[in-house]
Amino acid sequence: MSLPNIPKEKQLPEGCIVDSPTTEQDHMTTGGWRVLRSVIDYGKCTKCKTCWISCPDAAIKVDENGDVNINLKYCKGCGICASVCPVGAIARIPELDFEDVSVYRELPF
Amino acid sequence: MMKGKKKFIAGTAAVAEAAMLANVDVISAYPIRPYTGLMVDLSKKVADGKLDAEFVHADSEHSQLGIVHGASASGARTMTGSAGVGVTYAFETYSPISGGRCPVQMVVADRTLDPPGDFGSEHSDVLCARDQGWIMGWAETPQEAFDNTLIYYRLGEDQRVSLPQFNCQDGYFVSHIPGEVVVPEKSQVAEFLPPYKLAKPLDPRKPYGHGPQIFSDQGPALQLQRAIVMNRAKEIIPEVVSDFNKVFGRKYDSYIENYNPNDADVCLFVNGAHSQTARYAIANLKAQGVNVALCRIRFVRPWATEEIAEVLSQYKAVGVVETNNSFGVAGQAGVFTPEVAATLYSLPENKRPMLMSFMAGLSGEVIRLNDFYFMAKKLVQAADRKKIEKPVYWIGFEEN
Repeated sequence: MSLPNIPKEKQLPEGCIVDSPTTEQDHMTTGGWRVLRSVIDYGKCTKCKTCWISCPDAAIKVDENGDVNINLKYCKGCGICASVCPVGAIARIPELDFEDVSVYRELPF
Repeated sequence: MMKGKKKFIAGTAAVAEAAMLANVDVISAYPIRPYTGLMVDLSKKVADGKLDAEFVHADSEHSQLGIVHGASASGARTMTGSAGVGVTYAFETYSPISGGRCPVQMVVADRTLDPPGDFGSEHSDVLCARDQGWIMGWAETPQEAFDNTLIYYRLGEDQRVSLPQFNCQDGYFVSHIPGEVVVPEKSQVAEFLPPYKLAKPLDPRKPYGHGPQIFSDQGPALQLQRAIVMNRAKEIIPEVVSDFNKVFGRKYDSYIENYNPNDADVCLFVNGAHSQTARYAIANLKAQGVNVALCRIRFVRPWATEEIAEVLSQYKAVGVVETNNSFGVAGQAGVFTPEVAATLYSLPENKRPMLMSFMAGLSGEVIRLNDFYFMAKKLVQAADRKKIEKPVYWIGFEEN
């Protein structure tokens, strides 16, 4: 059985396995699904990175100081980070309590 | 030459022996009959220190597949398995594993889907997953289950392919009935099966992303890529099987086993362990002057369209023994009838045999010699009269 070849400009990596991290797409924001926002208490955080490895959406980044930061553009608010944190440094606060709330406050129509 | 130790073991135990010789790294398990024997044997081998592997007891079939997916992506040789509704419970994971090109091996001792709770063998469970991009095939004996384990690892882990495999055997008929298995020496296995090497293993020092979001216009190329890879698997099967035969002194055909092909006008198309009984029936019929052939496929995926068409073109009538049920399918039988029909349609009309289906071997029922004699009779009648009276027969419910 012969199949057509894939032209160069349409080729994707084998198995769509790509180098990580990839760029962020403006129109693929998923942070708007969040109901509870995870907030890190840096006074308690021990930089153990348990939350970083446990985040199913890779929405936690480690910066050059070794501090963990939550990427609110993609964090869906599942709360796994808060439940795995060994020192209880992550609180979950209702999204609507924030000024920069990510959900729609006004109806779109 | 066939070297090694002869053992008298059943199918799941045979696969456990092969897994040990293949030096599997990560095993995930969750019990369900009749696959459970494999889980028991593997955990015992790990506990006894005979197999240096990570044995993870999952909390469901879905988790089982998630565990081996991640382990395989990080470069571990993996084995998992299930049966019946366990196979279908894990269904969501099959396409991501094959699409992410993780050569997981899933051993299935097949089982009828519910309801009711029926432990018996039926091929419907795994055949549901035939469109998920996995290599798939059935073993006829414990020996073949052992051999297929090694063949599938070699084929699936080949970097030209890199696909997961369903290593299937008939529940009870193969998984629980002991047979003679020649367990080869470790050096032979090492000669045939190189260590698993993934092109892009997960590594915290060089991270990769699996399953990223893509745009719709990028999708078709990815689908074509998956089709190309499955096609490639088909092309290298003869290479793998002939290497296997050379190293272990076996005589496997690559795609199809054609038993008693000469002088026969009609052919039974069988998958899996029922071909054992079919062979006896064919030998008995031959002694009475009735010539029937057997075509047993070694792989369901990739389906060897040209090769199966060539074999079946010798006959006037072909009877598909379904061993599975597909409700409302084209032809009103099981999933093999439409596949065989499409295969035969690639032949010119004057070479195209008539096609009949036999619904048999469902829910664990044994297909007896008498059932095969009945099928042979109907096939010979059709060939003589050049006409099919009835396209589908339900064995056990038909009048002679």
